[in-house]
Amino acid sequence: MPESLLEVTGVNKHFGGVAALRGASLEVRAGEVHALMGENGAGKSTLARIVAGAVRADAGSFRVDGRRVTIANPLDAQRLGIGIIHQELDLFPNLSAGENLVIGNLCFHEGRWARFRRMETFCRPFLEQVGLTCSVREPAAALSIGQRQLLAIARALTMNARLLLMDEPTSSLFDDAVERLFALIRGLRSRGVSVVYVSHKMDEIFRIADRVTVLRDGQTVGTRAAASTDSGELIRMMVGRELNLAGGPRGREHAAGGIVLEVEDVSTDRLRNVSFTLSRGEVLGVAGLVGAGRSELGAALFGLDRIRSGQIRLGGALLTPKSPRDAMRRGIGLVPEDRRTEGLMMSMSVRENASLATLGRIERLGFLRGARESGELNAVARQLALHCPSTETCVSHLSGGNQQKVLLARWLLLYPEVLFLDDPTRGIDVAAKQDIYRIVEELSASGKAVMLVSSELPELLRCCHRIMVLREGRVTVIYDAAEATQEKIMAAATLAEAHA
Amino acid sequence: MRPILRRAQSLVALLAILLLAVIISPVASDGSRIFLDIGNLTDILRQISLIGMISLAMTFVILTGGIDLSVGSILALSTAITAMFLTRAWPTAPYGSHIAMAIAAAVAVSTLAGAVNGVAIATLRVQPFIVTLASMIGLRGLAKWLTNNENIDIGFGRDVAARFAELFREKTIVIGAFAGAAAVFWTLLDRTVFGRHVRAIGDNEKAAEYTGLPIRRTKVWVYSLTGLLAGIAGVLYAAENHQGNPNAGVAYELDAIAAVVIGGTRLAGGKGSISGTIVGTLIMGVLTNMLRLNNVDSNVEMMIKAVIIVLAVAVQRERN
Repeated sequence: MPESLLEVTGVNKHFGGVAALRGASLEVRAGEVHALMGENGAGKSTLARIVAGAVRADAGSFRVDGRRVTIANPLDAQRLGIGIIHQELDLFPNLSAGENLVIGNLCFHEGRWARFRRMETFCRPFLEQVGLTCSVREPAAALSIGQRQLLAIARALTMNARLLLMDEPTSSLFDDAVERLFALIRGLRSRGVSVVYVSHKMDEIFRIADRVTVLRDGQTVGTRAAASTDSGELIRMMVGRELNLAGGPRGREHAAGGIVLEVEDVSTDRLRNVSFTLSRGEVLGVAGLVGAGRSELGAALFGLDRIRSGQIRLGGALLTPKSPRDAMRRGIGLVPEDRRTEGLMMSMSVRENASLATLGRIERLGFLRGARESGELNAVARQLALHCPSTETCVSHLSGGNQQKVLLARWLLLYPEVLFLDDPTRGIDVAAKQDIYRIVEELSASGKAVMLVSSELPELLRCCHRIMVLREGRVTVIYDAAEATQEKIMAAATLAEAHA
Repeated sequence: MRPILRRAQSLVALLAILLLAVIISPVASDGSRIFLDIGNLTDILRQISLIGMISLAMTFVILTGGIDLSVGSILALSTAITAMFLTRAWPTAPYGSHIAMAIAAAVAVSTLAGAVNGVAIATLRVQPFIVTLASMIGLRGLAKWLTNNENIDIGFGRDVAARFAELFREKTIVIGAFAGAAAVFWTLLDRTVFGRHVRAIGDNEKAAEYTGLPIRRTKVWVYSLTGLLAGIAGVLYAAENHQGNPNAGVAYELDAIAAVVIGGTRLAGGKGSISGTIVGTLIMGVLTNMLRLNNVDSNVEMMIKAVIIVLAVAVQRERN
């Protein structure tokens, strides 16, 4: 029996009136990769954050190496050798990569003066270990999301963590970065570091985890050895019922509705000579590594980035959007990648968030007509299977999946000809993903054109008629869904000569 | 439920201060409490009306995530223009239209000043604090330059200026102006597209941009409205004090900001209400009146107010 590094029992935590954890427990052995699973709202992130000292539990007992300890704040956790990589990376955007590694770090004795050379020699091996090639002096804000995550991992490594908690680390990573992350995790395990891996993704868990603990409604359902369980059992534990993960079969052909969007040789500061067409009723997948220009394509269409050369035609007419407002008026919508900072008004209600883009329809002489607003919203909420206590609930109280649905509701109400969805299923639970796939199908069936960015290749293969692969700001290839495979897309996204 | 309770907290504070004011109120010779005298209560309302009107507009500014430091200077400019127009311009005009023109000129210039703030903030993308700090200095300079840094007295005789002062220092006019402005601003915030845009922009400006909201236009309107109300307050100030005073309204911006935050509006924007601001204004007004009735030294009064501001905001802080 390997000895347990961390033993947590009877953890309770309430946020306001809502119980996030009700007697949850977790036991992690030295040198294992331990997956923590559960649907959104099951309490897995909360449990991880409690162990890391980021949130304080209402009750619970904590043992490290068999000794009773208290973890009241992140410094306590650091002293015990516990580090965390938060889902929303907690970096200082205006500090350099090096400064992010050493700040608040008990293993780097900085003294009163900033000593850059010493900091650089301290940091470089850790940056190399995680495969981050940026300069130590690069500000964190200048890094892509994927690079920032590597920086956050490097930060935990510099603190000599014996137990590393990772809260959905792959939610914004493309497959090659996931591979690098897994290699990193395996390397850590071989050095005796334990990793608690919080995730939704079944295939990842079977690839990386030694044991799995499942949470449901704030309680620990059980722990299994990964080798002696299967995804069916874990799903049953998570939801208490069997779930069909594959989803319904999808008709690959779409009504030939004619071309709605033509992009010809478009370049911006971050795109190079991008050309493609989009037909009515089509779902066009956009694949590529992080930083390949997926979001930048949306930014060009939506009037956020200036178009340097080339042209865009929408319904045959030339389109040079100067602002999102301008693009929307012409019939282009965009659901941004980061729903919290670019999408939602976090202190407004579900109703107010959903109607924000279409207030023009519900006003008369500038006055809002409440009945009309609620009526429109109720129809869309049903279509989306939106779960919220009431439409007056503040969106900050909703789960990630439901927040994403509120943002989608805003755009469904506007009903644009072309809708660009930038990684809409990032960090949301399985059931909400299925609802979003269904919405994409419904939009497509009603003749609207959808562009779907995703970091998960199976998702693109499931939803899209064609898949466009970007690499370094250029289109490398556009596949029909019938001929596309994960391997082919991966090759097009990573290899320069594969499709030259 | 909780937002309602939180909003009620400032109301509870107001009731507590009212109760205290009644209890410690000095007693008149007939045994009645002076604080509860109708004359005294309406005095309170008149005293808070000017700051109150400015606070209404300041609520909108703060809801967008901005701040307006120039309101005191705009008020001073407005008093100066009103008094100059009444005493120096157009001596042959009939009284009615002369007064109307004076008010229109003062209010128009004030609104324009606010609009300039708004345009600078929205198009140059300079922080509101910096822009309105600059106009606070610049407009004060303009008011002093126009008047040669002298008060322009409005007499007590039978001329047009005196008639203006007589009319516009009436309690009903002053309190009515505040009440009317409060009703208009409450409706704007709670019932109109404009109000929804104001809150959305302050909550998350980037998301507002991605949703295609008219951010620049909304901001220009918000600062223009602030100029408008500071201008109206200036007209009333001129009537009340029988003079155009280029040194009027110093530190009014801070009193207005205090009333807004006591009323529960988040300084970072996105969250707040007109009703809260009205309660905040009343708390400050009743407190001042209570202390003065009891002959508390005005310096001590400032110290007590300081404590009240911090306490009021502390109890309304979002708990998590």
